[in-house]
Amino acid sequence: MEPKEATGKENRGSKRKNLTFLRPRLYMLERRKTDTVVENSVSGDHSGTLRRSQSDRTEYNQKLQEKMTPQAGCSAAEAPTQDEEQQMRRMMTKRSKIIKELLQTEKDYLNDLELCLREVVQPLRNKQIDRLDVDSLFSNIESVHQISAKLLSLLDEATADVEPAMQVIGEVFLQIKGPLEDIYKIYCYHHDEAHSVLESYEKEEELKQHLNHCIQSLKKIYMEEGKPNLLDMGSLMIKPIQRVMKYPLLLCELRNSTPPSHPDYRALEDAFAAVRNINVNINELKRRKDLVLKYKKNDEDESLKDKLSKLSIHSISKKSKRVTNHLKILTRGESQVKDNTFNREEKLFRCLEKTVRHCVKNISLCLQQIQDAMVLALQSVMELQEISYNKDEEEGGYSETPNKAPNPCNDFAAHLQRLVLIPLSALLSLFPGPQKLIQKRYDKLLDYNSYLQRSAGDESDLAKKEYEALNAQLVEELQVFNQAARKILFNCLCSFSTLLRDLMLVAQRAYSAAVPVPLLASRISEIQNRVLEEVHNLNFVKDNSATFIERKLSFEKKKPVQIPPEMPRQTDIHRSKLLSTYSAEELYQAKRKCNATQEYDISLLEGELVAVMEQKDPLGSTSRWLVDTGIVKGYVYSSFLKPYNPAKVQKVDAENRFCDDDFDNISLFVSSRPASDSVTGTPEGSISDSSSSLSGTCGKSEVNGTDIDSFQEADEQIFYAVHAFQARSDHELSLQEYQRVHILRFCDLSGNKEWWLAEAQGQKGYVPANYLGKMTYA
Amino acid sequence: MSWIPFKIGQPKKQIIPKTVERDFEREYGRLQQLEDQTKRLQKDMKKSTDADLAMSKSAVKISLDLLSNPLCEQDQEFLKMVTALDTAMKRMDAFNQEKVNQIQKTVIEPLKKFGSVFPSLNMAVKRREQALQDYRRLQAKVEKYEEKEKTGPVLAKLHQAREELRPVRDDFEAKNKQLLDEMPRFYNSRLNYFQPSFESLIRAQVVYYSEMHKIFGDLTQQLDQPGHSDEQQERENEARLSELRALSIVADD
Repeated sequence: MEPKEATGKENRGSKRKNLTFLRPRLYMLERRKTDTVVENSVSGDHSGTLRRSQSDRTEYNQKLQEKMTPQAGCSAAEAPTQDEEQQMRRMMTKRSKIIKELLQTEKDYLNDLELCLREVVQPLRNKQIDRLDVDSLFSNIESVHQISAKLLSLLDEATADVEPAMQVIGEVFLQIKGPLEDIYKIYCYHHDEAHSVLESYEKEEELKQHLNHCIQSLKKIYMEEGKPNLLDMGSLMIKPIQRVMKYPLLLCELRNSTPPSHPDYRALEDAFAAVRNINVNINELKRRKDLVLKYKKNDEDESLKDKLSKLSIHSISKKSKRVTNHLKILTRGESQVKDNTFNREEKLFRCLEKTVRHCVKNISLCLQQIQDAMVLALQSVMELQEISYNKDEEEGGYSETPNKAPNPCNDFAAHLQRLVLIPLSALLSLFPGPQKLIQKRYDKLLDYNSYLQRSAGDESDLAKKEYEALNAQLVEELQVFNQAARKILFNCLCSFSTLLRDLMLVAQRAYSAAVPVPLLASRISEIQNRVLEEVHNLNFVKDNSATFIERKLSFEKKKPVQIPPEMPRQTDIHRSKLLSTYSAEELYQAKRKCNATQEYDISLLEGELVAVMEQKDPLGSTSRWLVDTGIVKGYVYSSFLKPYNPAKVQKVDAENRFCDDDFDNISLFVSSRPASDSVTGTPEGSISDSSSSLSGTCGKSEVNGTDIDSFQEADEQIFYAVHAFQARSDHELSLQEYQRVHILRFCDLSGNKEWWLAEAQGQKGYVPANYLGKMTYA
Repeated sequence: MSWIPFKIGQPKKQIIPKTVERDFEREYGRLQQLEDQTKRLQKDMKKSTDADLAMSKSAVKISLDLLSNPLCEQDQEFLKMVTALDTAMKRMDAFNQEKVNQIQKTVIEPLKKFGSVFPSLNMAVKRREQALQDYRRLQAKVEKYEEKEKTGPVLAKLHQAREELRPVRDDFEAKNKQLLDEMPRFYNSRLNYFQPSFESLIRAQVVYYSEMHKIFGDLTQQLDQPGHSDEQQERENEARLSELRALSIVADD
């Protein structure tokens, strides 16, 4: 009891000071609970009125008295009826009774609040129990207490030491109505939730005990005071609500019992309206919330069956009406109720939703790829290392450090999940609720619009109310939502960047540790050069194994090159020696050039003379003959030989060259070019040396056979027509089938390889390449 | 004429010493393993660079999507942040590209060049095998004639078979010697060949990551007004989220 009195006294003594200094705290408390913006002007305004009322009180009272006394005097002089007098007096007594009741109940109420704060709220707060959220139970009960204390002090001020006729109660309520509304709004708004929270707490034994303990101590105090009317926690919590609902009743009664001539009458009327308004507003707020909850719940946990069952005629007609109405608005551009704040917030909301969605998607994709890339990079580094270094000479540092690197990457992934992806995903999951409500708001807006046009009284009102409730709630909360969502997004992006930075650092360290040599020692280009050098160094391997064909060629090269010293070419001396030693039947001539393929074989040039000594080889094969060239003896395949006919040989030979054998000759050159090259150390000399007929051939062909190179070139350029070709213009050349042509260029002027510039019978022109065939050994 | 169809207990004469064959197998085995390794590495490098590129592309996509969002038009601060992020991402992409090019030049291409040696090696080995078979065949022929009675034709045939055998044997021995000599050299050349590539790869990574660290360090400074710790950040996010959940318009479940 003692402390209570002390606080009471203190309250009274320093109430003004107390109030002004409490004010900012009061608003802070409020703001902590919700973010409703409270106009600061209210407080300024209020303190102004407070001051005025204080300083002007005496003056004011005098004025009032003057006002009243003439009236009283007047009434006395004019001798009003006894009834009026009596009624007036009755009203005044009733009025003072009501004022007293108002004061008393306010005092009791304040007392209750104080006790509640001291015995329940504070102890619970001090206990700091994890699962017990005192704020959600009592929300801003401290503010409620303060406003009540202030109201009481104002009422005291207005009634104490003031004659009943001068007491102006309405003014007090008008002064305080702003803060009163704000504070009670918050309390009432949260009461429903608080109630459900309380129920959940009471289910838990431990929490229930804490609560009961507080209640018991409170009950004890009440018992001592002789007011055993406290029942439980719920009744404690509902007290402010009951109180705020009581104000209009009290004020109404007060007004009714105030004579219209009383200075308080007007003020009371206003105060009554104001307080009633407060109650309506609070109700509206609660309704709004209920509405939001209703629509929010609407589509949740709804099976198809539920939906079908809901599909009543009423809902269908409602929906179709909305659609037509929407079309009407779209097409005719009919006037529509608009809310710019809402539109702005909605746009922001949608942008945020899109951003967050994209972020979640992209960042998780990016994370996936970072992980992949890091692992793969590491794997390839290790593989390369495995190749680059011998296992036995591996140093400890080499193999260990890169192995550690995957961990930071996993670490990064975990952090990214925790700091970026999870919050963003959680945020993303919060968007659908408001989206649904926004949709509902548009529906309601359409309803409202359609009713507005048909101006149906009752329904229009209902639609309007629903729309406005939804809209107000959305506007208010979307702002909060958007701000918080934006903040989270910012945070996450910052975290993302920070995490990337850290990851890069870790990766850098991991790789730096893996490198033994100082980084700047060898430049990239140097390394490139070294690598190239290595490649060149490798060439011996490459040459040996890679160029298979070349080696094969070189193989062939070697042997003939070795043979010539052993087997000099046949000269006229040898020939005459053969002619003299062997009979004509035994003499044969090489039809074609033949190369030795086995040991003891001999090579022959075309036209060389041999004497056959035996028409078989040691194995008994008759296709290989032992022959004598005059220099050596060896084996030759008989198919290369033809009987020697000394009379004919020159003539036939010559003729052959002139006509049909041309073809054969040329192809022979083509096929045997490498061989003849290799066979003859000095090509020109040996050829002219060995067979004079050869040079004759050369003379016959288009190219003058002086130079062997141009000769070869010429025969490379000789083709024959596989198909006949009819020239289509001057630039082209007609060809007969099998006609020989000399190709001057293997492409046309524009470099097209399909058309070749050919010459035949003194004419030049282009022919299609695919009509031509190479003269080959056919 | 002996009538023993199978020469039991008389092992077939080994024409090449076992140690030679073993050496050859070992060297060739090592090279085959190396070939597999380079092939796999080539594939993995390719995969790795592709993944790198995909990674930076996806990172750029994050910022591009953010930039294209209409939110930027309304919110200057957001625009500033996103622009900074975008710049960082684009630079990362550029550096990444550079790194990949570097790797391509100093690792993948040399790998390819090195890898192109193997087919010829395999070819050479195949030819050696071919020569060995020829050698064996002819050797068997010679042995067959050697076992026969030494009559005139047989001797001639033996002589001829020997004559045939000689170049083949020489050919095989040349090939064998060459390969035995060169395979270890080829195998060892990889060390000098790949070490620079390895170093270059590591350096490319280090350069890239240190650049990235700088870029994102700058970005972080630019974005993060006070240097929040992770826990603070987390708590802040949690607080905001619960604030959001407390809203009546948000479904709270």
